Amino acid sequence: MKSKNIFSSLDKANTEKLINRRVALLTIAQTGLFSILGARLAYLQIYKHDDYSSLSEDNRTTHRLLAPPRGNILDLSGKILATNIENYQALFVLDETGDIYEALIAFNSILPEKKIDIIKILETAKKSSKFKPIKLIEDLTWSEFSKLNANVHKLQGIYPSVDFKRYYPGKEANAHLVGYVSSLSENETYNNPFSKLANAKSGKIGIEKSSNLDLRGQIGNKRLEINAFGREIRELNRIESKKGQNIQLTIDRDLQSFCYEQLDGLSGSIAVTNIHSGEYLALTSAPAFDPNKFYSGISHDDWNFLTKSLYKPLINKAISNHYPPGSTIKPFVALAALEKGFDPNKRINCDGSYEIKDTSTEKGSKSFHCWKKKGHGPMNMKEAIQRSCDVYFYTLAREIGINKIAEVCKRFGLGAKVFDDFVEELTGTVPNKEWKKRELGYNWMIGETLVAGIGQGYFLATPAQLSLATAQLVNGGKKINPKIIYKDSDLQDQNKSIKNLADTKHLEFLKDCLFAATNEQGGTSYRSRLTGKYQFAGKTGTSQVRRISEKEREEGIIKNKDLEWSRRDHGIFIGYGPVNNPKFSISVLIEHGGSGSGAAAPIAKKVMNFIFKYKIDIKRIVITDA
Amino acid sequence: MPSFYQIRTSLSIIDRIREINIFLICLLLITFLFGLLSLYSVADANFNPWARNHLIRFVISAILFFIICIVDIKIIFNLVYTLFFINILALVLIMFIGTETYGATRWIRIAGVSLQPSEFIKVSLILCLAKYYHSIPIIEVSKVSRMIIPVIITLIPVGLVIIQPDLGTSIIILIGAGSIFWIVGINYKYFILAFLSACATIPVGWQYLHNYQKERVFTFFNPERDPLGNGYHIMQSKIALGSGGFAGKGYLEGTQSHLNFLPEMHTDFIFTMYGEEFGFIGTFLLLIIYLSIILVSFNLATKSRSSFGKYLSCGLIFLFFSHVFINIGMVMGLLPVVGVPLPLISYGGSSMLATMIGFGLIMNCYINRDTILAKEGFID
Repeated sequence: MKSKNIFSSLDKANTEKLINRRVALLTIAQTGLFSILGARLAYLQIYKHDDYSSLSEDNRTTHRLLAPPRGNILDLSGKILATNIENYQALFVLDETGDIYEALIAFNSILPEKKIDIIKILETAKKSSKFKPIKLIEDLTWSEFSKLNANVHKLQGIYPSVDFKRYYPGKEANAHLVGYVSSLSENETYNNPFSKLANAKSGKIGIEKSSNLDLRGQIGNKRLEINAFGREIRELNRIESKKGQNIQLTIDRDLQSFCYEQLDGLSGSIAVTNIHSGEYLALTSAPAFDPNKFYSGISHDDWNFLTKSLYKPLINKAISNHYPPGSTIKPFVALAALEKGFDPNKRINCDGSYEIKDTSTEKGSKSFHCWKKKGHGPMNMKEAIQRSCDVYFYTLAREIGINKIAEVCKRFGLGAKVFDDFVEELTGTVPNKEWKKRELGYNWMIGETLVAGIGQGYFLATPAQLSLATAQLVNGGKKINPKIIYKDSDLQDQNKSIKNLADTKHLEFLKDCLFAATNEQGGTSYRSRLTGKYQFAGKTGTSQVRRISEKEREEGIIKNKDLEWSRRDHGIFIGYGPVNNPKFSISVLIEHGGSGSGAAAPIAKKVMNFIFKYKIDIKRIVITDA
Repeated sequence: MPSFYQIRTSLSIIDRIREINIFLICLLLITFLFGLLSLYSVADANFNPWARNHLIRFVISAILFFIICIVDIKIIFNLVYTLFFINILALVLIMFIGTETYGATRWIRIAGVSLQPSEFIKVSLILCLAKYYHSIPIIEVSKVSRMIIPVIITLIPVGLVIIQPDLGTSIIILIGAGSIFWIVGINYKYFILAFLSACATIPVGWQYLHNYQKERVFTFFNPERDPLGNGYHIMQSKIALGSGGFAGKGYLEGTQSHLNFLPEMHTDFIFTMYGEEFGFIGTFLLLIIYLSIILVSFNLATKSRSSFGKYLSCGLIFLFFSHVFINIGMVMGLLPVVGVPLPLISYGGSSMLATMIGFGLIMNCYINRDTILAKEGFID
């Protein structure tokens, strides 16, 4: 018993030691583990502090972009062509509606006549944050909006709100020129800060597109503190957005509207140019579309109508479509001949057709016909222009050659873009030998020179080009800078060195010819002359759309009015006025109008009359951004 | 024949109070004050609802602490098995009448107070094991026959807690029990064996884990796996701590916490908020305080001459340590997210009570360090 006790006490002493050792080990282990915690804390809070700080900052703040108001587009006297108007709308915040269906039913009871696409709205709501306002409906009238405001207490989570939308008071009249805005297309989003805006719009055609960068302004930004659920807590700071620049056009809104009215029911274009400054006062294309419809997405039916219509309402016919200039080219061919030393008094007999050798045909020759079957008889240059004799100009063209004609036409602005502003603008075509070889791969043929002499064949020009060429023809040959947008630099460099395009002696003579064509008996546009204080002068043109075959000619040419619309000839007119102190040039093009004298000249007369009456002393009123 | 107990009757109430270690009490009080500050901040500079309750609970717990301090250790010693039995009974009971929160049944309502028996079982199990090892001959601890009872009384509460389900607490219970096994001197080979068999049962045990528990483990190994789901909390927690930096964002200025990026800010993740606002200075200071509590307590534990006192104290200290380590390790991304509160700082009544009872027992063992307690069939 005793020995066991001794034993056990020895054991006990050992185990006591063991226990104490184990306790000590445990304490050391705990201290060690605490050091790991300390080290980890130091790593997170000191070593990685910068990383985590920026993550924390990203967590707590967010940016909201502030959309800038788009600049206005004004006419030369400051009248509005495009502006922003209030868009009354209703928004809802999903988080605050409680039950979205109930909220929509309540909304419906207030504005029962308004239809809402519930499925579409719920889809957008699902995709976006609960706290973000989502557009329920827009384009409310003032009375609907007032009604909504009066009943807002019944609508949990739905709010009336005022936004801005683009508005074009001129509607169709300026549609192509001013253009329209709509949502960004996919290829516009790359590297574009505006693509991050919820409701970003960009100009799609016209000035809205060409001056998009100036008009759109600068995006503002506000920095917000948000919580973990994305709810806004407070605004930290804000950089206001900057309104886009106002753009002032050289266009006169009244004249533009008047021109558009004249084209009612027709398909065509009118361009009016100030012959001294190169400012375009009107650049109209008809038919057109209502640009306001594009803002919040054009309807399917409207779009279908616009794209399928035979009259191509989406095309700006003043610059984006080109036509054979027809007889309107004749003054320029005449100028080419005068420059080659051709005597304008020399008479050339017109018996109705002009023959050239052509071994490929049975007869061994090929006939080129004058529009007057019986012929004009002996013609000098003035008479030939007045009456638009084709045989005279066949002869002229053959004598001076295509390259000379092309050179003169190009000098006056054909075959090149008139403006820098529009991507949709076409250059037209001024053909010569090199051009044909290069573009078509064939050699030039003499017959082609003849048809070029009367503005047919490969010749193509836009109405804007024709107006510019006419302006330079009648302003004493001064080269002008065509423009559609006023730039601030314009105010200074008005007295630039003037480049003369041609001998004034020749130009004065050609003005006489044009005067005779409109204001003297026998002229092609004599019936459309003005007889008041101011007169105008100009040249008609009829450009053939179809080829007239020999067979057709023998059987008698079918009258234009008996043809289907798309095969009728285009009617063209170029002119200027007033004749004793020229200020304006004009070009009128009526697609498939039949003839220049029948379709285009009467419209030119009305427009010129309007200008003489109301716009004779028109000047820019400089609008400064307030 | 000598009596069963050799009783020291000389300790009066006054003596006991005089023996209380003021330094440890100060450290506990400071820690509690840190908790109070943090809970005030969590509620966006509001005393309600957490800070106020935390204070009330601390006062109640402190009273209990003092009562335990001055009670004779023999009374406690005699009550150990009863307490353990009652506690187990409570754990069984909550399976039937417990309140369910967040999918786990952990609470039992007694007289209008919700209590979490699993918090108390940690302490009562350690009491139980301490008494058991106190009672058996010290040289027999490594005998297999002597290991059956302690293993069973450990596994019963572990099992009951796991089915609540509360993985964190059951791990803590195992760790607490393990620390007792270690201290009493069980051959280290058994620890290696236990570790290896634990590893072997992982694949089997894995299948019994709840999905959210599996997710937490996955997330622990790869927090970026699911940055908006399970990894989100731990990511946000690290961001909060890291962005606090050396000096912190300032009291009440924590953006991560006040803008709700942190989960469970008043309970398990309170350290994160504290760290964001007070920075490394604050967190390091708190670590030092916790370590001081542990070291001071160890110092007190070693003074105890009875095995029961020593085992109990060391076990409770290690229990306290594992709470601190697991909680802080968890919010820093060192350990998987298991629901373990930070003692004296996290909001939670049962946890507060259990912690203070624990320290009351440690203090009691120190005060009664010379009291000799009876052993089973062994006469000293």
